[in-house]
Amino acid sequence: MTQPQARARHYHLVHRTTYTYPEPVTQSYGRALLLPRTVGGQTCHWSELRTDPVASEIAEHRDFNGNRSSYFAVTDHHSVLEVVAESALTVNRRIPHVDRIPPVPWEQVAATTRALRSTGDSLHSDHAAAVVAVTDGALPSQLVGLHDAARAYADPIFRPGRPIGHVIRDLTESIYSDFTYRSGSTTVKTGLEEVFERRVGVCQDFAHVLIACARTMGLAARYVSGYIETHPPAGEPKLRGVDASHAWASVWVPHGGWVQTDPTNDQFVDNRYVLLGWGRDYRDVSPLRGIVFTEGSGSSLKVGVDLMEVDAEALADLRG
Amino acid sequence: MLLDETEWRTLEAGLAQRSELLDEILTDVYGPRRLLTSGTLPPEVILGHPGFLRAADGVTLPGAHQLFLAAADVARNADGSWQVIADRTQAPSGMGYAMEDRRVLAEVLAGLYRKARIHRIGPFFHAMRLALVDAAPPSAGDSPRIALLTPGPHSETAFDQAYLSAMLGFPLVEGGDLVVDSGRLWMRSMDKLEPVDVLLRRVDAEYCDPLDLRGDSQLGVPGLLHTARQGGVSVVNTFGSGVLENSALLTFLPRICRELRGQELILSSAVTYWCGERSMCSHVMANLERLVIKPTARSRSGRSILGWTLTATERADLAARISAEPHAWVGQEPIEASTAPTVARTGLEARATVLRTYAVARPDGYQVMSGALARSATQSDAGLVSSSANAVAKDVWVLSSEPYALLDPWVQEGPAPTSITASISPRVAEDMYWFGRYAERAEATIRLLRAVGDRWDDFHSSGGTTGGQALDVVKAALADVTAPGALADLLCDTSRTGTVAFAIQRMIGVATAVRDQLSSDTWPSISAIERALGRERALHARSGSEAVPDRQTLARLLESLLSLQGMAAESMVRDVGWYLMDVGHRLERAQFLVDTLAATLTHQRSAAIDSLVLESVLIANESIITYRRRYQARANVQTVIDLLLIDARNPRSLVFQFDRLRADLEEVPAAGRTSARDRLIDDMRDLLSELDTAVIAAADDHGLRRRLVELLDSLGWRLRELDEEITRVHFVHPVPSQWLDSGIWGS
Repeated sequence: MTQPQARARHYHLVHRTTYTYPEPVTQSYGRALLLPRTVGGQTCHWSELRTDPVASEIAEHRDFNGNRSSYFAVTDHHSVLEVVAESALTVNRRIPHVDRIPPVPWEQVAATTRALRSTGDSLHSDHAAAVVAVTDGALPSQLVGLHDAARAYADPIFRPGRPIGHVIRDLTESIYSDFTYRSGSTTVKTGLEEVFERRVGVCQDFAHVLIACARTMGLAARYVSGYIETHPPAGEPKLRGVDASHAWASVWVPHGGWVQTDPTNDQFVDNRYVLLGWGRDYRDVSPLRGIVFTEGSGSSLKVGVDLMEVDAEALADLRG
Repeated sequence: MLLDETEWRTLEAGLAQRSELLDEILTDVYGPRRLLTSGTLPPEVILGHPGFLRAADGVTLPGAHQLFLAAADVARNADGSWQVIADRTQAPSGMGYAMEDRRVLAEVLAGLYRKARIHRIGPFFHAMRLALVDAAPPSAGDSPRIALLTPGPHSETAFDQAYLSAMLGFPLVEGGDLVVDSGRLWMRSMDKLEPVDVLLRRVDAEYCDPLDLRGDSQLGVPGLLHTARQGGVSVVNTFGSGVLENSALLTFLPRICRELRGQELILSSAVTYWCGERSMCSHVMANLERLVIKPTARSRSGRSILGWTLTATERADLAARISAEPHAWVGQEPIEASTAPTVARTGLEARATVLRTYAVARPDGYQVMSGALARSATQSDAGLVSSSANAVAKDVWVLSSEPYALLDPWVQEGPAPTSITASISPRVAEDMYWFGRYAERAEATIRLLRAVGDRWDDFHSSGGTTGGQALDVVKAALADVTAPGALADLLCDTSRTGTVAFAIQRMIGVATAVRDQLSSDTWPSISAIERALGRERALHARSGSEAVPDRQTLARLLESLLSLQGMAAESMVRDVGWYLMDVGHRLERAQFLVDTLAATLTHQRSAAIDSLVLESVLIANESIITYRRRYQARANVQTVIDLLLIDARNPRSLVFQFDRLRADLEEVPAAGRTSARDRLIDDMRDLLSELDTAVIAAADDHGLRRRLVELLDSLGWRLRELDEEITRVHFVHPVPSQWLDSGIWGS
């Protein structure tokens, strides 16, 4: 695994999505999970979602998982719609380390998870708050069901009696080395079985693979949507819009909370990650989706993300 | 089926208590979720059920209850006690059937019904109306607008939905009729948007909003869930109520009832073992061959698995499926539903009978319908009644010890409430227009067919004679105006445009789609039409299609069509829908007349032939009596044209149709400019008013009435253009929608 970066960071985040339609659109309704939540280790100081044309209604609420979910309706006729999410944040999280994760055998974690989901009674009262989230993470979901392929893949990694922290690390490393990352190799419609079969995918697939393995073995795991900071090759300036949406996974450990791990980059999640929200799989937290009314069909899409590290002064300016 | 008052009171109290309990569960699982974290209810029972809609979390209805309408399927045990087999809370169906059953029985058994003291079910629907008003958001004011959301006329329970909406007095709307804007829900009416404050949904919640729920649904309204969350509209039953249909809940209800209400459950449920619990799962596995096995989610195939019908291999497969996801399965002790006498082919038979009961939320508790929809097994040896598979419906009479008393009168003291204008959507408007057109087309075709049939009876064996030649003329005209083919096929063949059967099939199709707009008396007439056509079809299947249509069948069809028109004339309020239906009638009649004249009168023939042809034309256009009275024995083309084209007092004349079209269209709101539409009608009216019928009737050297041909031709294309103009101006269809995922997949 790569070494985590422990230094706290301030970020200015801009995520710009542009839809271009072949025919005029009369109405456009959107659901966005593009505003970062404030959560342990991450503070969102300021954020804004705006559209062009200006939305006739825009509203935010906390979804089932506590994520910031935005609704908008654009009722002016348009053939180009731009959705911009912008925020200012500070990330300073406790970095997971194998040795800091409670050293219990993974089977014991699976047993605790099992007890929580089937009785709601937690042996340890401090799990009460986690009952719903753990059950949700352990149950199969629409995109991540229980697969024989996942079981076959996970079985040798989940060695009997192995501490949970090591299992999570091993699983992350295995997926990183066994699966090939290839941009454009899958779509949202590609089934997980096919990903296991072809051993190729993008970050969403890597996250789903890890979650499928964890669930199949009786653990609770969830999908996390967000960004990772990227750096240009040495000596070159960072170009605008080069960053991208990212996704990883987290696994529940009693007394250890949700351990966030990134199988695409073979590392635990550190301060270079900005988190938007989490759910059972991609479907629960897809960054932007919508319904448009138009005579035409199809649309073209352009996405640009800038995750820029800023200093405290610039951050203060952004917070206005 | 009869129930005495004592037995009913216990059942009623049990149903009311159960509804309260289910309401509390619903409120909790979409709110604080204490049941899940306190160890009362295993979390995966709720979270693992597809009816639990996470997107609906935090959406609440105003008022004391979150569960608006609770239905239950109950059966009587061998010991006479009642048990619930399943709760129905998604979007309960059957209330319309219950009311219709009651109406039919009250009619058929009129004497008995009048003598017996039977609890009325009408008050329940009144309570439902009040409950819908109560459910409205506070911003709606004191006259909230209410509508019933239907998946459309192809839904399995379309009849039930339309009946209910007509009885409650709320419009039936489809997803495409609605739009979310400025924080409210609106119904597209012909020229404006009208607010909807409460939506009674008969569409499963998952399909109600393609933005936040199933993206592939064409039945919903994007933004509906959001608007409900913001309190801009109330949707009942609320989003996610389907989670209560979870059969695993039956295991836990007694415990939840004790913990939440400190009461014992009055009405027990079928004994149910939830496989998510280890010991219950072993019990189910050990008794697969005698239990009913169900997924906790109502499966799409709808069938429970009867353990005793499985082979050993099938049982092993089932056991493997249960082991893979034990939380998603239950085993249930089979219920030997008690039987009720049912009329069968050979006399009365005892058949297992299940009741579907209904309860609606009122501020002080749940009001239970005093009656139910009973369904009996279709075979006497079937111990279980499936909820959907071809069961026989029965009415349930709850006998009362008191005479019928009106407890909750409809008439209320106080100032008159604001009347709600009944506006209709462009979809309903278009269906009403086509209802008028097809009804008229069916009638006109029958009349023409009958006139030709008369000539056929007289002359079909006398080819070459005057009569034979006249027959050829009218037969050719018939083929021109309707469709080529044998006379009998022109009546019966549904597959060919132009036939009577085709027009009737389309007419019934659109009538079904706008059932809530039409009088309930419409349906007996439509059934009579279907029966007559069916009989005629059977007749011709035997005798071959050479024969002419049976005169009695034609008479019967005509009679039913005329009774539909009578209802339209005397029983329907003159609203936009009525005017459009009349526009359809008038336009169709004008078109049919122009086509008929073009096919019969444009060529001069011998006086003998023409007199037979003219007579047929007049008969087909219902004008023969007037004509004879007016012109005595001396018929000629000019006077026929006078009567059929320009006599403004003849309801069958062309000019009469134009005058009505003009007047009807004045009453119909338009979304676009109407000048082109009106100009077409005025042009046609002018063509007729400048007409010199003597000139028109004159034939050239080749026997061709050239001026008549030109006139009919220019009327014909204008009428077709008018149809297009009306469609363009009045039936504005919503722009199609498409679902977009961001496609931010693949970074």
